[in-house]
Amino acid sequence: MLKVEHITKYYGDFKAVDDLSFEVNEGEIFGLLGVNGAGKTTTFRMIMGLLEYGEGKITLNGEPIDYSKTDKIGFLTEERSLLTKLTVKEQAIFFGALKGMKNKEILKRLDELLERFGISEYKEKKIKELSKGNQQKVQFIMAILNHPQLLILDEPFSGLDPFNIELFKEEILRLSEEGSMIIFSSHRMDHVELFCKKLVILVHGKAVISGYIKDIKRDYRKKNIFVKGDVSKEDLLKVGGVLEVVEHADELEVKIESEEVVEKVFDLVKTKKNITKFMVEEPTLNEIFVAKVGESYEK
Amino acid sequence: MRSKLNFLIGVSLARKVKTKWFLIAQILLCLLVVGIFNLDILIKHFGGDFEKATTIYVVDETGVSYEVFKEALLLNEKNLYGEDSHLYDIEQIDSVDAKKEEVGEEGGIIVYMKPSSENTLEAELISKVTVDTYDYSLISSALNSSKVVLVMNELGLTAEDYSKIMSDVTITTSLVNENSKTEEEGTEMIMTTVFPILILPIFILTLFLVQMIGAEVNDEKTTKAMEIIISNVSPTTHFFAKVIAGNLFVIGQAILACCYGGLAIFVRHLLGSGGAAFFDEIGPMFSSLLESSIGSHMTIIVPLVIILILLTFVAYALVAGVLASMTTTTEDYQQVQVPIIVLSLLGYYLGIMAGMFKGSLVIKIFSFVPFISSILAPSLLVLGQMGIGELILSIGIMVLTNFLLIRYGLRIYKVGILNYSSSGLWKKMVKALKNDSIR
Repeated sequence: MLKVEHITKYYGDFKAVDDLSFEVNEGEIFGLLGVNGAGKTTTFRMIMGLLEYGEGKITLNGEPIDYSKTDKIGFLTEERSLLTKLTVKEQAIFFGALKGMKNKEILKRLDELLERFGISEYKEKKIKELSKGNQQKVQFIMAILNHPQLLILDEPFSGLDPFNIELFKEEILRLSEEGSMIIFSSHRMDHVELFCKKLVILVHGKAVISGYIKDIKRDYRKKNIFVKGDVSKEDLLKVGGVLEVVEHADELEVKIESEEVVEKVFDLVKTKKNITKFMVEEPTLNEIFVAKVGESYEK
Repeated sequence: MRSKLNFLIGVSLARKVKTKWFLIAQILLCLLVVGIFNLDILIKHFGGDFEKATTIYVVDETGVSYEVFKEALLLNEKNLYGEDSHLYDIEQIDSVDAKKEEVGEEGGIIVYMKPSSENTLEAELISKVTVDTYDYSLISSALNSSKVVLVMNELGLTAEDYSKIMSDVTITTSLVNENSKTEEEGTEMIMTTVFPILILPIFILTLFLVQMIGAEVNDEKTTKAMEIIISNVSPTTHFFAKVIAGNLFVIGQAILACCYGGLAIFVRHLLGSGGAAFFDEIGPMFSSLLESSIGSHMTIIVPLVIILILLTFVAYALVAGVLASMTTTTEDYQQVQVPIIVLSLLGYYLGIMAGMFKGSLVIKIFSFVPFISSILAPSLLVLGQMGIGELILSIGIMVLTNFLLIRYGLRIYKVGILNYSSSGLWKKMVKALKNDSIR
């Protein structure tokens, strides 16, 4: 288990990370969310030992993370971190050996991953000759070459098309099933919702939301109701507790302040004709994120 | 961790050596060394105008000067260029007009000598192009000799009288210690000819070292691969890997350069021409050096000098690594490495000047200054101005320098290699220097 306990990091007088705590268990996918400069990359760099932190503790399976542990960790940085003059094979041997892997083991795993990502033909090509998307794939392959026990992915989907996002997603889920602890950051809430069971939303280095997504959504009082039928926006807005009504192509999305309002809306809708849909949905992570980040900025 | 250190050293060396450019550079270097050692043979082999003798046509209106002029010119030539030299064909002609046209087309020099009431002898040189400085000075000297003979004839002096007038006063030199004469001559020769050649490779290898380490650290920084590397190996391991790899590379390069030098001498020997002369000149120089007071301690001095040179290479590598870690681009590094190169250059020039300014206190002080002591200390040793004890002191200072560079440089390196911004850099470095928690 990765345990981050009350870590704080200052850059001069600026508090980049403020009393951050979270845990990631084996097989869990954990999301670290936040706007630019929220402290995500700083947190990753502290976990990897690239940055020292003032207060707190970071442990992997109960022990501090030092260079005796890093062989079990995979790290994908936000920016490209490849030696572009090397070929894909040379790069794999270089990073693999730094993870304490033997050449034979590296090449076997590399062949397997290159095939899975559909770039076997680039094995002997120099990295600088590859497209950005393929460089990102190579970088991801390098991060998971060692079957990491802990995988840290900083914005893994940047620059990828939907097809390749799917490839990455499959691989991340496979690693999760194999028991890897995975932490990743992203700006895209839809990506986070795809994989994460747990997350932390950082604002100015401080966790404003933390926990399991289902709990976060459940605890978030605001819900959405989707209604299709002969009901007007104006009628819905008259119901107490309705915050906003958004018109979509053939349905209305009613945003309500709490679950108690559902009954009131239903009482109105059932009096209308041609109702074909009345569905209560949890808010999206994006909504929660925007609301929470907004609140924090207002404070 | 040791295996990762070895791995990083291997990777650094392979990146330098396993390239076609390294191979091309070695082939070119080998050809150049062999070529330079055999330059005279090569030039002669391909021939050229320099082999063609210049025809000097002499019009002698004095009637008695031609033979003297010819004899003096040929004598001067032999003295300057050796017995086998054949630079001039000298021919007497009746008038300038007889050969003027030919000289205008094919070259050559007409020396028109005529008597002068004021100056005994006057001469006019007629040529197609301006007369070469060397030719001019030889002709001028020969003409002066001719003039002297004319004056002697006028005054009725005999050759014996002339010889007495012109001969130099005999001066004999003697030294309290007769042996020191040959020793000093050998030292002088070594300092003026051999030493600049020996220290030049040290200077060039220092440049290689500084460039290699800087380029590698910068490459890893600019591609951000440093993040991945440092998340797997400590900055200390990374730093030492660069320093060791850089030093192994320059040592290897020095050994290769020596091999090329050996090959060049062998080729010269094979070609036959000049091979013996080369050893004839170098041999006695080293013999006299070996016979000197230093020579008897060569078994101690040579290893000590090698240790000092190696320690200096390590120090340059440490500084290069630290500076490279502080910069964020290759261009920045090229700027910060200038002081290191200038320092190395200072050592090179002082090394050469040590022979000219024997006993200079400044040069002696500099011979203890880290980074340049490796060039200056051996110079002063050869000149007999430094003893083994002082050489050991230079080594001690170098060891201390390396210790301090490792202790404090590492702190900067650790912060620098993961720093991608030049803003507040010095503040960060000072803070790093104060922080002693190096992982």
